[in-house]
Order: sequence, then C-alpha cells, then structure tokens
Amino acid sequence: MARLIAGVGTSHVPSIAAALDKGLRDSDEWKPFFDGYTPAQDWVAAQKPDIAVVIFNDHGNAFFLDRVPTLALGVADTYDPIDEGWGPRPVPAFEGAADFAWHLADQMVTSHFDPLICRELQVDHGMQVPMELVFGRPAAWPVKVVPILVNTIQYPIPTPQRMWDLGRVLRHAIESWPTDEKVVVLGTGGLSHQLQGARAGYINPDADREWIADIGPNPQRYRDMTREDYVEVFGSEGAELIMWLVMRGCMDAQVNTLCRHYFAPASMTGAGMVLLENA
Amino acid sequence: MTTLVFIPGLVSDAFVWRAAIAAVGDLPCVVADVTTQPGIPDMARDLLARHQGRLVLVGHSMGGRVAMEMARMAPGRIAGMALLNTGTHPPRAGEADKRQAMIDLAHTAGMAAMAAVWLPGMMRPDADPDLAAELTAMVCRATPEIHERQLRALLSRPDAAASLTYKGPMLLVTGRQDAWSPIAQHQDIARICPQARLEVVENAGHFAPVEQAATVAALLGAWARDVAVVDAGLDRIPQTPLFDRPRSTAGYALNKMAMGLATPEGRAAFRADEQAYLDRFALTAEQRAAVLARDWAEMVRLGGNLFYILKISAVDPTPIRDIGAAQAGLSLDTFLETRLGKVTNG
Repeated sequence: MARLIAGVGTSHVPSIAAALDKGLRDSDEWKPFFDGYTPAQDWVAAQKPDIAVVIFNDHGNAFFLDRVPTLALGVADTYDPIDEGWGPRPVPAFEGAADFAWHLADQMVTSHFDPLICRELQVDHGMQVPMELVFGRPAAWPVKVVPILVNTIQYPIPTPQRMWDLGRVLRHAIESWPTDEKVVVLGTGGLSHQLQGARAGYINPDADREWIADIGPNPQRYRDMTREDYVEVFGSEGAELIMWLVMRGCMDAQVNTLCRHYFAPASMTGAGMVLLENA
Repeated sequence: MTTLVFIPGLVSDAFVWRAAIAAVGDLPCVVADVTTQPGIPDMARDLLARHQGRLVLVGHSMGGRVAMEMARMAPGRIAGMALLNTGTHPPRAGEADKRQAMIDLAHTAGMAAMAAVWLPGMMRPDADPDLAAELTAMVCRATPEIHERQLRALLSRPDAAASLTYKGPMLLVTGRQDAWSPIAQHQDIARICPQARLEVVENAGHFAPVEQAATVAALLGAWARDVAVVDAGLDRIPQTPLFDRPRSTAGYALNKMAMGLATPEGRAAFRADEQAYLDRFALTAEQRAAVLARDWAEMVRLGGNLFYILKISAVDPTPIRDIGAAQAGLSLDTFLETRLGKVTNG
C-alpha cells in the first residue's frame, strides 16, 4: 500500500515566485527566507517521494465567480502554469498522478466529500510556489501531483473542522492505494496577511510563530477556531491557513516537527513552513 | 452613514413600512413624504434634497417610480434600491379617464368611499378583512387633495424604463396575485438592471408589504442590512471586508472585467482603449470611475476582490504594496514602516 511519508505546511505567496523569476533568490531581502527552506528540501529529496498532494486555493485564475467549487480535485495527466495577468510563468508543467487522483475521487465521494472533478486544469501560484519551495526549480518535477483546490475567496468558505476531516479521508485514501508509492501532502497558504480593506498590510507574527510551533504537537486549538476567528487573527487572506489542517488531519495524532521556518514580511505576508513526520 | 428611505405609494404612509422598518434593526430609516409635490420628478428632487448622504431606497408602487427617478437624478448617491409592486411604463390608453373618475369620487363622496372602490383590486382576492380596515384607515388619513395631486403626478409620469441605467444592488418584490403590477413588469426591470434579484411573494397582491408583512420585512431587512453594511464598511471584523454574497454580487461585473485581463487579448484591448474595454462590462458609474482612477480602496468598497483587480495592476503595473497602502489610507513609506516594517526571521 502507498505510504504517507511527510506532511508539509507552507506559504504560497506570489512574491516568492516573482523573486525567483527575477533571480533574487540570494538577494539580501530574500536569502533568509529561502535559506530557511533548505533543510526541508534536502530531507524531502533524500526520501524520494513519488506523489505530492497539494492543497491550495485558486486565486481567481482557474475559476471565476460564475462557478465557485468549494472543493475541486484534479484528475488530469498534466497541469500547466496559468496566466495570472503577467503571462504564464516559466516553470515546468506538472505531471498528474491521475490513477491515484481517481482513487482519491472515489474515496472522497464515498466518504461524503463531493469535489468538482477537473480533467483539464491550469494551476496558479497557489500550487507552483509550494512545489518550488519543496522541490526547487528542476527541469522536470521529481513527483507526480494531485491538486486539491479549496475555495477560500468567496464566503461561505469551508470550515476548519471540515478541512481536518478531509485530511482523515485523504489519509485513508493513501493507505488504501495498492502501490508502494511514497506520498507527501502539502497544505498551503498563509500565514497571516490581509490584502483587502483598510486593514490591508495586517500581519500577526506572534500568532504565526505560535502556529508554526503548535500545528504539529497541539493542533486542537486550531481545529476549534471558527472561520471568523481565522480572519480576525490571521487576516482576511490569512484564513487560507485552514488548508494546513487538511495536511495536519492526514497525519497521526503524534508527529515530529522535523523542520520549521518563519519569516516576515515576505511582501505583505507572514511566511513560513513546517515539515512533519508521523511519530 | 447610509440612510434607508422608505417611499410609500399612492395615499399610503408609514403603515405600509411598519414591519420592514422593524426588520432592519438599528440602521437609520426615514419614511418619505410624497404628499406635497406635483410630479414624480418633484418628489425625487425633494427627497434628494431632504435626505443627505448615501441612500438605500425602498419604494412601493408609486414610491418605486420615485426611487427610480432619484437614481436617474443622483446615481452616485444611491447605495441600493428595493422596488415593490411597481413598474416602469408610461400612462396607458384610458388610464387618465379612470384616474379622473377616482379623483372625482374622492372629492364628492370622501376618501372612505374611494377606498371602498379602489382597495379590493389592490389586495389578493381573499384578503384579511382586518387588513382591509387598516388600509382603509390609512387611505382616510390622506385627503382628496393629496389623492388628486398624486394621481396627477402619476398621469404625468415619465417612461422610467427609458432612463433606467441603474446598475447597483437591487431587490424586486411583488405579490403573486398583484393584478395591478404583475410579475412581468418586475421581470422587465430585472432584465435591465444587472444586480436585480426578483422575489415573488405568495398569497399577496399589490399591497404585498402589508399582506405578507413578515415575509416581505424579512426579505427587505436582510437585503438592506447587507447593502448598508457593505456601503458603509460596517464589517464585523473592523476594516476587513469579507467577500460574501452582497460583495460578490455588487462586484460581479467589476471582477469579470478584471478577469478578462488574464488573456493577452484582454490586456491588449485594455491597453489600446481602456474606455472601450470597460464598455464591454456592466460596471456602475462609480466602479468605472474607480477603475479609471486606479482607486483601489474604492474598487474594493464596490465589490472588487483583490485577486481579480490585481490583474489591472499587472497591466499597469502597480506594486501590491502600493495597493495595500492606498487601502490603508497611508503613504507607502508609512504603510511599510507601521504595518510591515519589522523583519523577523527564523
């Protein structure tokens, strides 16, 4: 059976992509941010995972407001980078783990999670940036991917509790998949940031640091928060953090936090990561 | 602050709005006086002068026509418009003679006699007799002179459809059994106004706001609160607009316009002739002005969502931090220093 080898929580700030595209990886502003990811990159590379399940939100690129899927699941063979207004970024296309994705579709619907199933889908920075942060910028990605997209833009967005439960279903799907593939799950978004309204530019580094420290050993408090709590504490777009709960929900109750990193501000966002392994 | 202006119809008063006003909670409300002005445009002009600031208009029957005229005169002041049991058509053949007969009846036999003839057709066939008595009492609070003045105003009414360019939030409500202002008249308005939502209330005629007071009040209350909250920025989490139904509805055309910039063709058209590109979308006058001025705070206030309107900034290009500072109402330096200044690492 397939095996869940790690869970990664990470930001997916588009400015990270822009910094990479402009060759600013080692600039004074960005080097401390990117260097913080190196230990996790090395650990993941050594483990040689086969599949990455990436939980992220589309940012008004693949989906417009004419139809807003609360949950969407990619079952495509390939995912191209999408044009977000500047033209598509020069990152390699992502090869889809279509067989596993269809298995996941079966498992989700059987467990009463009913996603929009996407056979053709382009992906925005929500998936590109986490992949670059975990796997660097290879000529071809070393893993196949399964995108799971969560609506975090138009209210009602799903609840934190529901995200956790989705993680439980994802775990069961991985462990009932009859291959020896190694799977890593990436829960993405956040940390604190707000792009809209007079509170734009709000970040909350103290709350972010607690999140980074506690999401592994003490996730219960984050399961108990409401959506509005997330907006209040982490900012209107910081509510993306609910997607880390999918990752955390698919891990064991006891985990080891192998790597953690926090940096603020990355553009207008508190940014960071955790790498978790089942204890 | 946004004020709700409830505009009654012919020989009507605050009685019609009693339940609705109770349902909107603590938002500021006024009931308009349309008993003194000789024409619909005079009523509209008078109400605009009398009630300052941003207005949410709620008009019943003739009051709906006054609301539409107010929106024509001062589109920038109207935050939302709810129209109940109304229509846009100019006077029809034979209408003047029938109205004159009613004017004469009120003068010769009194308002109660006029009400006895007029009211039955205004309510659903099996209307509650107690309600008929209350409506009769309301009609009798008006005078034959008011009645005549309002009917003459109606007879000189303009064709409201021709000038109905309102694109903001709109709720249309009518009664299933409204024989005077049938559902189709409201469907006609909904076709013109991009944000219109039509609700047909069961077991109600032309006096839907009192025939089904609780239902109509609940509809109006929820809609008006949403509109006023969005318009005045009264978010539960201060200075933090959630992109919910009212905002998504208000900003739909604006966001759709911005979404069009996700293709090279859209960007080329926008760059070549921004005005012509904007013409393709049903933006409100305010939204259009905000886009042309790159007023990011205003775009968000009017329902723009950053993830869509960022595509405008990609064309310009405008850095995201400038957009943040503009919304915060701060200079870029102050914004960066006070909100994002402290670098923290590790």
